[in-house]
Amino acid sequence: MKRAIFVAGFVALAATAAFAQGVAFDAAERVRILAHGPWPLAWSPDPSNRVSGRPEAIALGERLFFDTRLSGNGLVSCAGCHRPKQHWTDGHARAIGHAEADRNTPSIANLRHSRWFGWDGAHDNLWSQSLRPLVDPREMNFSVAALAKVVRSEPAFNCRYRAAFGRAVPANDEQVAVDAAKAMAAFQESIVSGRTPFDDFRDALARSDATAMARYPAAAQRGLKLFVGRGQCSVCHSGALFTNGEFAEIGIGHFVRPGVVDPGRHEGIRKLKANPYNLLGRWNDDPARRTATGTRHVAAEHRNFGEFKVPGLRNVAETAPYMHDGSVATLRDAVRHYSELDPDRVHADGGTLLKPLKLAEGEIDDLVAFLRTLTEPAVPFARRELTEPRCD
Amino acid sequence: MTFAVEAHAACGDALGPGTLVASSPRFDVAFRPDPAPIAVSKHFALDVVVCAKSGATATGLEVDAHMPAHRHGMNYRPTVAARGGGRYRAEGLLLHMPGAWEFRFDVRTSAGRERITLAREID
Repeated sequence: MKRAIFVAGFVALAATAAFAQGVAFDAAERVRILAHGPWPLAWSPDPSNRVSGRPEAIALGERLFFDTRLSGNGLVSCAGCHRPKQHWTDGHARAIGHAEADRNTPSIANLRHSRWFGWDGAHDNLWSQSLRPLVDPREMNFSVAALAKVVRSEPAFNCRYRAAFGRAVPANDEQVAVDAAKAMAAFQESIVSGRTPFDDFRDALARSDATAMARYPAAAQRGLKLFVGRGQCSVCHSGALFTNGEFAEIGIGHFVRPGVVDPGRHEGIRKLKANPYNLLGRWNDDPARRTATGTRHVAAEHRNFGEFKVPGLRNVAETAPYMHDGSVATLRDAVRHYSELDPDRVHADGGTLLKPLKLAEGEIDDLVAFLRTLTEPAVPFARRELTEPRCD
Repeated sequence: MTFAVEAHAACGDALGPGTLVASSPRFDVAFRPDPAPIAVSKHFALDVVVCAKSGATATGLEVDAHMPAHRHGMNYRPTVAARGGGRYRAEGLLLHMPGAWEFRFDVRTSAGRERITLAREID
């Protein structure tokens, strides 16, 4: 009993001490911090995908996602780059499928809340995005016809297709491929990152629970204050996803290799409008095109050149390397980039948001400490196909 | 001054609670977001009423929004549909950053166009 009282007393003292070290947030900072939650976000199925949210489609999509037969050489699956144990990334600077690609592999967690897909936003829906790497010669090097053939001929796919879509696998290859992509999208929509220490702090702040707030490390609190304050990080990395879902040019080099430039969003908008699988096309399952507002109204501007998608920061500490080309090795280097960036390299038509932050080493430490609190506790991904009943 | 306040109260009354009014010597532009309030990085539309003062006549409307401090606009180009009686519906707006935005209403007249603005803080 004495031991229990001692422990309780120690915990109370520790909490008081931590709170005493806590950072004061003004009203504007509180508003910005609270805007980063609550987590998880509410979600409703994607109306452009008639099997979005259906367990049978998620099961089919998961099988397809992990299957190496969906590649030209039979060795590459979606999960080869989007690895569950690496928070759905691969640790490489640039994705490696049949060959090295030009861009870093982004995580697929929380994609169900996205408006644009891919570093250049060339896709306005997840099923369209899911088709792209399948047929890219440097990634999976497969084809629409080959994908349709596998879905038809492999009993596990064929059976699950019927369960998900309520009909036999059709004869039209393109229809089968789009449906397979919609099943893969349904699977990816099911991947949502868990709550983090930041979320606990944010919710404690919302209810003015000083005791709970004091459990959040002082360094992280200082980093958070920089993030929503002088650093202006939350201007683009906004909301519960820590991204505004849009695009920015932040002074990363444009050259993929000597003589070859990655135009980013500028080319992404052109590809989007030319894509037969965009939300304005016939493959959208929603006759009202309710989610196509962005596609109808997106404006192509000169300043889009060199812009890339602002990535969400949940689990950012676990998804190195960073930036669209994987050119920044560590989280500390990523923070340092904003501390030391050369404004002359930012090609933003006179925009004035990005300026070198000129952070002290301790401030870089604090920002990194904050970003590390966006990491969910390690929960291994469990494959559904290993636990679900057999498909007859 | 009293006249101006009454004009503000009258213009856009039909739009309901949350209506904002931007004014110039010749026009009041009342507008209400849909959905309201505006959320950062979420698409919204504006229901707009253009009210002419002292005999001016509006023949059309364009709508845009900018962040003066950042010197950039939206990533989207709204479309505006006239609904008769000085009413318009602007679709496709999205404010992708928190902070100070300026709504810009370009009212077309037979003599040209007139820009009417209103600044709002979005968080």
